[in-house]
Amino acid sequence: MTAAPPPGDGQVGLVIDGREVRVPKGTLLLDAASEVGIHIPIYCAHPKMDPVAVCRMCLVQVEKLPKLQPACATVVSEGMVVDTQSDATAKAREGMLEFLLLNHPLDCPVCDRGGECDLQDFAFRYGPDTSRFPITEKVHFDKAVPLSDKIELDQERCILCWRCVRYYDEITGEKEIVLQQRGVHTAVATFDGQPLRSDYQGNLPEICPVGALTHRQYRFKARPWDLIRTKGVCPECSYGCNVFVDSRDFEVKRFASRDNPMVDDMWLCDRGRYSATSWNSTSRLRRPLVRDAAGGVRDVGVADAVKEAARRLLAVSERGGGEVIGVLGSPDCTNEEAWLLQRLAREVLRTPHIDHQLAEMLRLGPAEHALGIAEIESCTAVVVLGPEPEVNAPVLTLRLHKAATKRGVAVHRVAANAEPRDITARVGDARLVGVVADETNRARAAAVASALAGGGTAVKRMTVTRGGNGRGVKDMGLLPDLAPGYRPAVPAGMGGRAILESATSGSIQALLLLHAGGVLAGLGALVESALRIAKVVVVIDTKPGVLADAATVLIPGHSLMEKQGSVTNLEGRVQRIRAALPPATSVPSELRVLSMLAGALGAEGWGSGDLMEVHRALAADVPAYAAAGNGGRARWEVAAA
Amino acid sequence: MAEYKLLTQHIGADGLQTRAGYERLGGYQGLREVFRRFTPEQFIEQVKLSGLRGRGGAGFPTGTKWSFLPKDVFPRYLCCNADESEPACFKDRYLIDENPHQLIEGVLIAAYALQVHHAFIYIRGEYHDQRLLLERCVEEAGGAGYIGRNILGSGFDCEVIVHGGAGAYICGEETALIDSLEGYRGQPRLKPPFPALKGLYGKPTVVNNVETLSNLPHIVLRGGDWFKGIGTERSTGTRVWCVSGHIERPGCYEMENGRPIRELLEEEAGGVWQGRRLKAFQPGGGSMQVLLPEHLDLPLDMDAVMKAGSSLGAGAMMFMDETTCMVNVSMRLVDFYHHESCGKCVPCREGTYFESDLMHRLEAGTCKPEELATLSDICDNMNGKCFCPLGDTATWFVMSAYQAFREEFEAHCGAGGCPVRGGARTAALVGAS
Ligand SMILES: Cc1cc2nc3c(=O)[nH]c(=O)nc-3n(C[C@H](O)[C@H](O)[C@H](O)COP(=O)(O)O)c2cc1C
Ligand code: SF4
Ligand code: SF4
Ligand code: FES
Repeated sequence: MTAAPPPGDGQVGLVIDGREVRVPKGTLLLDAASEVGIHIPIYCAHPKMDPVAVCRMCLVQVEKLPKLQPACATVVSEGMVVDTQSDATAKAREGMLEFLLLNHPLDCPVCDRGGECDLQDFAFRYGPDTSRFPITEKVHFDKAVPLSDKIELDQERCILCWRCVRYYDEITGEKEIVLQQRGVHTAVATFDGQPLRSDYQGNLPEICPVGALTHRQYRFKARPWDLIRTKGVCPECSYGCNVFVDSRDFEVKRFASRDNPMVDDMWLCDRGRYSATSWNSTSRLRRPLVRDAAGGVRDVGVADAVKEAARRLLAVSERGGGEVIGVLGSPDCTNEEAWLLQRLAREVLRTPHIDHQLAEMLRLGPAEHALGIAEIESCTAVVVLGPEPEVNAPVLTLRLHKAATKRGVAVHRVAANAEPRDITARVGDARLVGVVADETNRARAAAVASALAGGGTAVKRMTVTRGGNGRGVKDMGLLPDLAPGYRPAVPAGMGGRAILESATSGSIQALLLLHAGGVLAGLGALVESALRIAKVVVVIDTKPGVLADAATVLIPGHSLMEKQGSVTNLEGRVQRIRAALPPATSVPSELRVLSMLAGALGAEGWGSGDLMEVHRALAADVPAYAAAGNGGRARWEVAAA
Repeated sequence: MAEYKLLTQHIGADGLQTRAGYERLGGYQGLREVFRRFTPEQFIEQVKLSGLRGRGGAGFPTGTKWSFLPKDVFPRYLCCNADESEPACFKDRYLIDENPHQLIEGVLIAAYALQVHHAFIYIRGEYHDQRLLLERCVEEAGGAGYIGRNILGSGFDCEVIVHGGAGAYICGEETALIDSLEGYRGQPRLKPPFPALKGLYGKPTVVNNVETLSNLPHIVLRGGDWFKGIGTERSTGTRVWCVSGHIERPGCYEMENGRPIRELLEEEAGGVWQGRRLKAFQPGGGSMQVLLPEHLDLPLDMDAVMKAGSSLGAGAMMFMDETTCMVNVSMRLVDFYHHESCGKCVPCREGTYFESDLMHRLEAGTCKPEELATLSDICDNMNGKCFCPLGDTATWFVMSAYQAFREEFEAHCGAGGCPVRGGARTAALVGAS
C-alpha cells in the first residue's frame, strides 16, 4: 500500500492473511475477508441478518488477542492483523465440526440437502477424518416432523444456528419459530405447536445451512447435481423476484432464490416459489389448426396457419379497414413479444385497438413508477394504500419490514379510500415520502401524492402493476392510448373491454389474441359472445380452453419457462428470462410467428423475428430500455407529482 | 478479630429480618446518609476509592463499572444478581436469609448513585423462601418510605421489583439474566454492546451481586477510605466464604481479605473432618481450577490465587479429603455444566455432552487410555472458544485435576470400576451443593 490515506475518510485498514484491506468503519471481519476473496466458513452468520456468533465456526486469530475471535461478529479496527489460516484456527474449525457431527445422524445419503449442504462441504474441507465419539451415544429426535403443509423439520440434522428463528424475528417479524429445551436437547419448534402460517415459509429451507428444514414439495425429488439451473424471473407477479429455475428430466423441480438486493433481497413468497411445478403441466396446445366456417377443423403446418390467418384478417380489413380488428396481448407476453405485437397492430394491421387487459387504464405516466423497490429504504416515510399492493406483490411486505425495522422508515398502511388530508396529517414532516398503490388505485394514489407534495414534501410513487410482465407490456405500448415509451398513440383506440363489447356488437370483426388466455379467463359471457360473433379469431396461446376452442386460426405458443426474452418488473427493472424447459411444440417462437404473419400480411422489412434482432429494434425505439440494459431500471423524465 | 465482620456482624440478632429489627441495629442509616453526604457522582467516587470489587465471580471493580454508564441516557436500570447457582456457593442465600434489609438498603444506595428509578432483584427460582422474604421486606421498606416516591424527603424515587428465575444456572450470567428478566429464554447476549450501554430493555444497566451491594451501606457510613484499609491492596474489604466439603463445620464465614486460606479451613471450619488429610480443594465455586494442600498458605487475595492458577470466583471453598476420587469429582462437575449448558453455542452444547459421556465411561473404568488425550483435546476445543464463560469453565476443573492427578485418571482407564476408595461419598457431597 502507498501512503496512509487521510484520516477521517471513514475507512479502516487492516491485514488479513498478509493482505492489506481497507474497508468502511464498522465492517465485520467476515465481510472484510470476503472483500479480498478470503473464505471463512460460517453457519450462523447470514448476509441478511444480524450476527449472533453461536456456531463458532468462523473463529480466527487476531494478533494481540489471547482468544480466537468470531469473524462474523468482530468489527474491524485500524491496524488489526488477522490470520485465518493459523494452526489454532484450523484446529478450532476441526474441533467445531467434530462437535457439530457429534449428534448428527449422518444420513446424507437420504437427505435432500446432500450435495449443497454447508455441513457436508465444510466437514469435507475443514473437518476431522474420523469420529472419536461412540455412535451409540447420540441424542435422537423425531425425524421428518411437518411444521406446516409446506415445511418439514428433521431436528437431528439441525445444528441450531438460529437462522430460522432470526428469519422470523428479523426478516418477516412473524416470530413463528422458537427454540425449546436447552443444551443438547434444544430443539426448533413452532410457536405453541401451531402450524406455520407465514406466506414466506419457503425461504426457511434455503437459509437453513443443513437439511433440517426441507420443502415438502421438493422432498426426495432430486439431488442437486442432477438439477439443471437456469436464471429466471418469478412469473407470479410483477415484483420480479430473481429465481433459479431448477429442472430435472425436463420438469421444473423448484424455484430457488437468486439474491438481487435491488429487488427481492433474496426472499421469495410461497405463492411464487411453489408455483414452480405448475409449469410441468402436459395439458398444452401443440399443433396449429384452422377452423372453417362450418366448424370443420384442419391440422396444418405453422406456415399454412400463418398464411390462413393473414388471409382472413385481410379479408375483413379490406372491407372495413384496420379498425375492425382488435388486438389483445397480456402481462404474460415478454417485452419483445409485446413490442412486436403493437407494431404489427399499428403498422401492419393499421388498427388502434390494442390493449393487454380489460380494466381501463388511460394516460399512464412514468411518475406513477418513480419509486424503486430498494429506494423504499431511503424514504422517510412510506404510505401503502390498502392491502392490494402487498397481496399482489407479497415480497414487498418484507422490504417494508426491513425499511421499518432496520432503516427507521415510518411505514403507514392506510385504507385505500382514506382521505388524502388525513394521510398527510399522519405522515407529518418528512423529507421523502413513498406512495405505494395497486394500479387499480391509481387515481387515489395520485390524489395522495399531490396532497403530500402540496405540503412541500418530496414524493415518489410506486404502482404495483398486475400480472408478471404487467409493467413491461405497458412500457411497450400494449395500451389503447400510448405507444411504446409512453408516447401518445395517434389515433387512440379502444381498450380491452370495449374491444370485446364491439366484437359482440359487430363493429370489431376480427380478434388477434396473444397469450390472452390468462386475462380473459373467467370472464364468461362477455368473452364467449365476443368469440362467437367475431368472424376471425386468431389465437396464439399455450393452453387449451375457451380461446383455443373458439379460435378460427390457432397457433401454439411457448410458456415462460420455454422461451427467452426480457420482462420488466413494477419498478421498471428490465430482466432477462431464459428457457429452462424444452418447448412443448415444434412451432417456432412467437416473435417468429408474428414476423411471419407481418410478412404474410404484406409488410416489408420485418426480418426473421430473431430475438436479437427484435431486441435491438426495441431498444432503438425505446431508448430507456437501451439504457436499462440487463437488470437496470428503465427511467423516464418524471414531471413533479 | 471483630473488626472484619461487616456484612455478618449482626447476624443472629433478634428480628434482624424485620425492618424494625434492622433499624434498631443502625439499619437504613446508610441510605439516610448517602442522600445527606453525597451527590450521586460523589458516592461513585467513594466506591471507586473503596476498591470494592464485584463478588459475583469476575471481581470487576464496582465503581469503575458504574462509571461506564453513558451520561444523560435515561432510564437506566439496576439488577441485583441473586441467581447464585454456582456449585458450592450459598453466601447470597445466607445474606438474604439472615440480613435481607441490608441488601435492600444496598440496592437503594446503588440506585441513588446510578440515578436508577427501577431496580430489580433477580433471584434464583429455587430460592423460593428467600424470594418471599425479600418481597415482604420490600413491602416493609416501602411502607417506611425507603422505597417509592421522594425517598426520605430526598426527592429521589425508586421502585424495587423482586423477580424469580426459573432455575437455570446460565441466568446468573448478566446478559442472560437481562434476557430472562425481559421474558425471553435466558441465554447470554452478544457483547458488545455491554449492559452498561444497552442492557435491560435496551437501556444502560448495571448488574451487581448480592454481596457486592450489601457492602454499600458500610461504605456510605464509614467512607471509601476506611473500606480500602481492610483486606489487601487489590482485594479490599471482607468476603463471605462458602466453605463446604470434607470439613468439620461447613457454612458461611466472613473473613477479611488477605488472611491465609489455612485460617479459613482450620480456625473457622474446624479443619478436615475425621482427622483425615486434605487431598485438594477448589476455591471460587465449581468453575475454578483445583488447588493442592501446598496452596493453603496462599492469602485470600484475588490476584495471589489467580497467580497460583485458580480463582477466588464467587467466594466458595470446597475441601476434599484423601479418600476423594478426582475423576469422580470431575465427572460430577462436568455433569453440572452439561446439564446447565444453555445450548446457544456449539462448543459448549456439544462439548459438555462429549465431556460428560467420556467422564462417565472413565469413572466406570471402561475408557481406553488414548481417550484421555481425546478428553484434553475436546477441552482445548472448548476453552476460550465458547460464547460465554460457562462453556469455557466447564473444562477448567477437569483439566486442572487431570494435570495434578494424572496417575489417578490413568488408573481409571480399563479398570472396570473406580480404583480410588471413597468415590461414592464424594459424589453425594458434590451433588448436594
Ligand atoms: C455462567 C455464569 C453464571 C453466573 N452466575 C452468577 C450468579 O449466580 N451470581 C452473580 O452475582 N454473578 C454471576 N455471574 C457473574 C455475572 O455475569 C456478573 O459478572 C456479576 O453478577 C456482576 O456482579 P458483580 O460485579 O457485583 O460481581 C455468572 C457468570 C457466568 C458466566
Ligand atoms: S432448523 Fe436449520 S436454520 Fe433452523 S436452527 Fe436448525 S440448522 Fe439452523
Ligand atoms: S457457553 Fe454457549 S451454550 Fe454454554 S452457556 Fe454459554 S452460550 Fe450457552
Ligand atoms: S458464523 Fe461466526 S459464530 Fe457462527
